Parts: sequence; C-alpha cells; structure tokens
Amino acid sequence: MANDHSAAASEPKRRHRHEGPQKHVVAFVLSLVLTIIAFAAVSAGEINTTFTYIILVSMALLQVFVQLAFWMHLKDRGHLFATMGIIFGIIVVFTMVIMALYWVWW
Amino acid sequence: MSAHDHHLDGHLPHEPEKATLEGRNKILGFWLFLGAETVLFGTLFAAFIALRHQTLDGPTPDHLFELPMVFAATMILLVSSLASVFAVQALHQHKVKAMIVWLIITILLGLSFLGLEIYEFNTYVSEGHKLTTSAFSSSFYTLVGFHGAHVAFGVLWIGLLIAQIFKKGLTVVTAPKIYVSAIYWHFIDVVWVFIFTVVYLMGKVG
Amino acid sequence: MAAHAHTVKRYRGLMDWLTTVDHKKIGILYLIAGGLFFLVGGLEAVLIRIQLIKPMNDFVGADTFNQLITMHGTTMIFLAAMPMLFALMNAVIPLQIGARDVAFPFLNSLGFWTFFAGGVLLNISWFAGDIPDAGWTSYVPLAGPMYAGGHGVDYYLMGLQIAGIGTLLGGINFMATIINMRAPGMSFMRMPMFTWTIFITSALIVFAFPVLTVGLVALTFDRLFQANFFETGNGGNAVLWEHIFWVFGHPEVYILILPAFGVISEVVSTFSRKRLFGYSSMVFATVLIAFLGFMVWAHHMFTTGLGPVANGLFSIATMLIAVPTGVKIFNWLFTLWGGSISFTSASLFAIGFIPTFVMGGVTGVMLAVAPADFQYHDTYFVVAHFHYVIVGGLIFGIFSGLHYWWPKMFGRVLNEKLGKATFWTFFIGFHMTFFIQHFLGLIGMPRRVWTYLPGQGFDTMNAVSTVGAFLMGIGTIIFVVNVIVSAANKKPVADDPWEDGRSLEWSIPSPPPEYNFKQLPLVRSYDAWWNEKQKGNTEMPPAEPVGPIHMPSPSILPLIMSIGLFAAALGFMYDHLIIAIAGLVVTFGSMFCRSVFDDHGFHIEPEEQEKGVHA
Repeated sequence: MANDHSAAASEPKRRHRHEGPQKHVVAFVLSLVLTIIAFAAVSAGEINTTFTYIILVSMALLQVFVQLAFWMHLKDRGHLFATMGIIFGIIVVFTMVIMALYWVWW
Repeated sequence: MSAHDHHLDGHLPHEPEKATLEGRNKILGFWLFLGAETVLFGTLFAAFIALRHQTLDGPTPDHLFELPMVFAATMILLVSSLASVFAVQALHQHKVKAMIVWLIITILLGLSFLGLEIYEFNTYVSEGHKLTTSAFSSSFYTLVGFHGAHVAFGVLWIGLLIAQIFKKGLTVVTAPKIYVSAIYWHFIDVVWVFIFTVVYLMGKVG
Repeated sequence: MAAHAHTVKRYRGLMDWLTTVDHKKIGILYLIAGGLFFLVGGLEAVLIRIQLIKPMNDFVGADTFNQLITMHGTTMIFLAAMPMLFALMNAVIPLQIGARDVAFPFLNSLGFWTFFAGGVLLNISWFAGDIPDAGWTSYVPLAGPMYAGGHGVDYYLMGLQIAGIGTLLGGINFMATIINMRAPGMSFMRMPMFTWTIFITSALIVFAFPVLTVGLVALTFDRLFQANFFETGNGGNAVLWEHIFWVFGHPEVYILILPAFGVISEVVSTFSRKRLFGYSSMVFATVLIAFLGFMVWAHHMFTTGLGPVANGLFSIATMLIAVPTGVKIFNWLFTLWGGSISFTSASLFAIGFIPTFVMGGVTGVMLAVAPADFQYHDTYFVVAHFHYVIVGGLIFGIFSGLHYWWPKMFGRVLNEKLGKATFWTFFIGFHMTFFIQHFLGLIGMPRRVWTYLPGQGFDTMNAVSTVGAFLMGIGTIIFVVNVIVSAANKKPVADDPWEDGRSLEWSIPSPPPEYNFKQLPLVRSYDAWWNEKQKGNTEMPPAEPVGPIHMPSPSILPLIMSIGLFAAALGFMYDHLIIAIAGLVVTFGSMFCRSVFDDHGFHIEPEEQEKGVHA
C-alpha cells in the first residue's frame, strides 16, 4: 500500500496532468519550419544535389522524431514496447532501403 | 480480464483510455500494429526507391510534380494532425463537445487532402502517367495510393467514432478507440512526411 | 456447460466451435486445420517421391510435378507448420503466463478463420484445375503474367495474402498478451522458455509479414492490373522480387524454428528433472538469432550476382547465427547432463531433435560460404539442408510438444507405445529420406526437376530416399491412430500428468476450465510450479480473492469476415467485380458491427466455478 501511495503522489508531475496546448503548438511550429526548409531547399534549386538530399533526409527525420515524441506520446511513461516496436520497424526499413539503393541494380 | 476492471461507476478517470486492461491492451496492440505498418510502408518505399528512375517513355517526376500542390497537401495533413492532438487533449480534460469539434475538423481536413490527391492523380493520368506506364508509375501509385487508402480509412473510422460518442458518450470503452484513432492519424502524417520528402522533393531534385 | 449463464447466448456443438473466442478451443481448431493441411502436404510429398523413385519415371507429368512441389512447399510452410505452432501457442501461452485469456480473444478467432479461409482458397486450386506451379518462392518472371498465365499463381497470391492477415493478427495478439497479461510476479526473466520464444517469434511475425504483404500486392498488381514492378520490359526488376521475398522469407524460417527451440527447452528440462541450463543465455541467444535473422536474407541470392561485398557481408552475418544457435545446443546438452532422464515419446523427439538439428545447422554454415554455394545452389544439397532444419527441427519440435501438452489440451494422455513407434518410424524414415539427398546434391542432381536419366549414379539413392518418405508417412499414420485410440480412452488425467511439470500450466486441471485460473496465481520464481512443489505446496499461492470472472462473449463475426475475404479474392481473380465488392462489404460491414455493438461479455460467478465447469 505504501508503495501505491508514493506512486500515486508522484504521478501528476510525471504525467503532466494538466498539460496545456503550448507544447503541441511548439511541436506544430517546429514541424512547419522543418517542412518549409525542405521545400525551400528544393525550390531554390541552386544547391548541389547531394547536399539537398542530406538536408531533405535530416529535415524529415527531425520532423518524424518531433511528431512521434510529442504528438504520439512516445516520450511518455509506459511506452517502452511501443518505442521498441517502432525502432525495430525502422531498423528493418533501413536495411530495406539500403537493399533498394545498392543491391537491386548493379 | 479481471472483474474489477469493469465497474468504474460515476466519474471518468483522468486518462480514461488507459483505465481498463482492455484499453491498455488496445493501445499496446495498436502500437505493435503500427510497427508492422512501418515495415509495410518501408517495403513500399524500398520498391519505389529501387524503381524511381525507371520512367521509360512516360513523364519524369521532375516534369510531373507540382510543388505548390504538394505543399498544400502537406499543410492540410499537418494541421489535421494538430487538430487530432487537440481532440485527445480535450478527451483528457473530459470536454466532449470540444473533442467532437476537433475530430470533425480532422475529418474535414482529411477529406480535403483526399480531394486534392484525387485531383492530382487525375491530372497525372491525363498527362499519360498511368499505373501501367512504367515501373516508376506502378510503384508511385502503389505507394501514394496505399497512403491515400489509409487516409480514407481513417476518415471513415473517425467518422464512425464520432457517431459512437454521440450515442454512447465518453466512457472507458469509447475513450481508447478515440485515442488509438488519433495515434493512427498521426502515423499517417508521419508517413506523408517521408512521401513528400522521398517521392516529391527528391523527385524534383532528380 | 452452463448454457443458462446470464443473458449472453452460449452455443453448443458445431456453433460453439464456429463462434468460440476461447484460446484453448482456437488452439484445437488450429491443430485440426493445420494437421489436415499437414496430411495434404505430406501426400504431395509422397507423390513427389514416387515420381522420383526411378529414372525416367512417368508417374506424374512435368506440369503436375511443378504443381506438386509448389503446393507441397507452400502448404507445409504456411498452412501446416505455422498453424500447428499457433495451436501450441494458443493452447499453452496463456496458461504458462497465468492469464485467463489472450489480450484480444476476438482477434484470435479472426486470425484463425482468415488463416483457414486462405488455406482453403489455396487448396481449391486443385479443383479449379488452375494450380500454382512457380515454386513456393514464386520467382518472377516465371510467376509473372508472361510465363504463368491462367489463375494458378493468383491462387497462391490471394491465399497467402488472406492467410497472412491471420498470422499477423496472431503475432500482434501474442506480443500484447505476453507483455500485458502476465500473472503478478511473473517478470520477463521468470517466463518459461517457450513463452520467451513465442514472444520473439511473434515479434518476427509482426515485422516480417508486412514485407510479404507488399510483395504479394505488387505481384498481384502486375498480374491483374498490368503494373510493372517486376516486368523487365517496362523498367521493372525481377531481383527486387527475390529481395522482397527473402527479406520476409528468412525471418520466416526463424519464425518456424524458434518455437521449436522453446518446446525442446521445456521438454528437455521437464524430462531431465532439472532447471534449464543457462536460462538467461538462452533468452539472449533467442533475441540475437531473431535480430540476425533479419540481416541475412541475401544468402538465398548469392548466385544472382550481388557482387563480392554484399556476398561477403551476408556470408559472415549468416555464419554468425551459428554462435547463438550453438549456445542453445550446448545448453540443452548440459541440461540433459546428469539429469534423471525419462525417455517418454515427447522426450525422445526432443533428444532426436538435437543431433538432427545440428546436422541441419552445419550444412547451413556450409551453404553460407558464398563461393561454395555456387556449387550447392539449386541442388538436392539445399533440399536436404532445409528439410533437416524444418522437419528435423520444427516438425520434431511440434511432435514433441504435441505429446507433451496433449494431456493439457485434451485431457487424455497419448499412448506411449504408439508414441514411441511414431518416433522411431518417423526418425529413421526422416534420416533415410534426407541424409542421402546431401550426396545426391553433391554429385549434381538439380532440385525441382521432374525426372532424371539413368546411369548418373542417382538411381539407388533416389530409391532409398523414397522408401524413407514412406516410413515417415507410416509414422504420421501411427500418430493419427494414436490420437484416435487416446480419444476412445476415457481415463481422466491428473493436473500434472508427467509429475515433473515446472510451469504454471501444470498447476491447473487438464483440460483447464474456460477461465483457466480460478484465482490468478502469484509467481515467486522461475519454474514457479516446480518450486511450489519443492516447498510442499499442492497449489499456486493466489494473487487475488475468489470472485466473479469476466469472460468475452462468443461471436460469429470472425467467420463471416473471413468468408467475405474469401469471396472477394475469388471475385478479383475471375474479374467478377460485383462479387469482389460484395465480399469486401461483408467484411467491412462486420468490422462496423464489431465497433458499434459493444461486447459486454458475461461473468462466471464463484458458485458456478465450484461446480468445476469445463470448457
């Protein structure tokens, strides 16, 4: 019982009990900025191709991280297996992209 | 599955979606399903990446894609994702009306995304870019079409859930459904981030 | 049983089986369906071997031979082996983790019925006269619209697609069950080894099957809608199919073998009366095998010409898998070492498994050497290798598990004499069939060819191989006889019939009541039930007071949804769009009903539990 109580008492802090919309608006603005950078990099058209690719991929990865962590609550408590599932999925996808890039045509 | 999980009479807990074992199972199971969906879309992406240069006599990506339209679609989906975040927040605060309003906004944005996509596909077909044109076109339509089908399913699903909320109210049974559908909707947005990056933007760069 | 319980309708007889959401009954359904397909696949195997018994035989034609090998492989992997694993999973996992049911009982039933619909769809191709004949791997362009006209390969694509849905649902279900439904006190490192392997297998299913789904969709689009994924003439790429198939296909073989590892761990430990040696290293090895299993797919494709870098990488990664597998083998040996071993049928199959699987593993490492593989590729050496790991590994494991858990599943012990007869005929027949095929391969007999010329040194070895196949057939028939004999035997079975049971399933009646545990058990150690017995306890300490138990209601919807999918697939194949759409409407309509009408379930009150209700 003692354990239950302490767990309950510490809950509100850890769960952001009355979280406002600010955090989500910040995540939204971040996503917006990342998207615009990506589109701008392509529209500009002046930059070298490899560099543009690097920008595009990093913007996409950052945005996905932001959305997974904040909007999909992956950073919250009790999401261990959800996170592991997504990470393992990403590993599989990564190997398949390598496959598609290097081992389908040669 | 034990008995006392069920009789949460009277007031709703703070996070009603996680109040019952059934609810927690549903959320966990759904995340695992999303892990599978990640691989599903990943395979479609891999096929697309492998075949992206195989345009043969058909139109090339550079010639085909219109960035303003893609940007509009991206914004629509991003805002709809924000709307569904607010819906879940309203769910946590037990504000049923606000929740329904946000869900309806989500659906409307989803519908406009679909409308845009249908218009886009229609234009492409008229420009001679059909499923059968080349390996590039086959993989393009399959990848983007699978995403579009997911959006369509999401719209129908969330619509059905809104009807259920009207009928049954917000309970420990309906709350997990809403929560899970929101996660699904975000996932669709996440997939779209990769589609606009890999398919459209990289297609433009060449 | 209590047909009058509360307001929920309880079904009897056939309707009970069609609507059940009870994991124990679904396990039995999987066993019956999987066993039936096993017999069909076995019959196909025997026909293949009769054709090859002598040179220039004309028992079946070349076309029929192609159909036989295709259907044999597909049926055995997807419709026999996997369902029989699902049978054991369903029958045992909730009991081993001290749960009343799986996380999603409805999905469990849906998973079974979709698998069954897919299996039936694949097999009615025999009656439609349009049979898949491009091998179980369905390589393009052979399986493409150009070279495989007609609907044969369509049956393969649609059947596997539908069966795949069921498997994926099962994988998600068992992962969620093991994560969320463990009894109080059962930490991850107290889970029985079988539960661990099923957990990892389920994860492999969840991450590997979507790849197959996409591959099947792409090939279906190529065949039905003239898409160009694999059409070289229109920019497609045939190697892409090989990649997609094996990115799925290699994890698939670990999906098959890991549960067998789990069964062997349980059986070896129980019948040596010893704690499993190196439990935590076993867990680690299982996880490592699963992870590496995703990184080695291209070793099936050495001869496509991926280049030295890719071949080298995949060669090394493949050989690495031998390390955790070796850890497992030694752990089993050390568990047996110094144990007081009882040689029951289950234990014989487990002990027979160990050397057999080692042989399959060793030929696996031989095949992993890329330059050497250019010699072995597409010969009978490969056939021998994968039958050693799949039959000598998985099927021995399944037979072992069936003999071991039969009393828990059905409340009857299988006859030991007949069990041992099964083992010896099957074991000897197996080695007779496949050991010799290594040498057939090494002297150059190609696989998947319907006949051969005399005077190449193939004749005697092929004849021996065929006799072995008959022996395996006889072993299987003895097992079926055993099942019938034991069903006629009405002697009740004790809760712990082997008397050395170690995990929670042996602490409850055989067969268990439909709610499994009257009170959820409190788990205080690894090998929980064994340790309680050592302390002199006759039952598990309860973790909750006696109370009403909530149960999910039965439902006919899963069956209807699968019939819908079945009809839709036929509609798409034969261009009857109305049927296709009607089928999908039925399926989605059922989903709609499931979402709209809440399942409140029902309660079993303590008084009813006292009556000793049985499922």
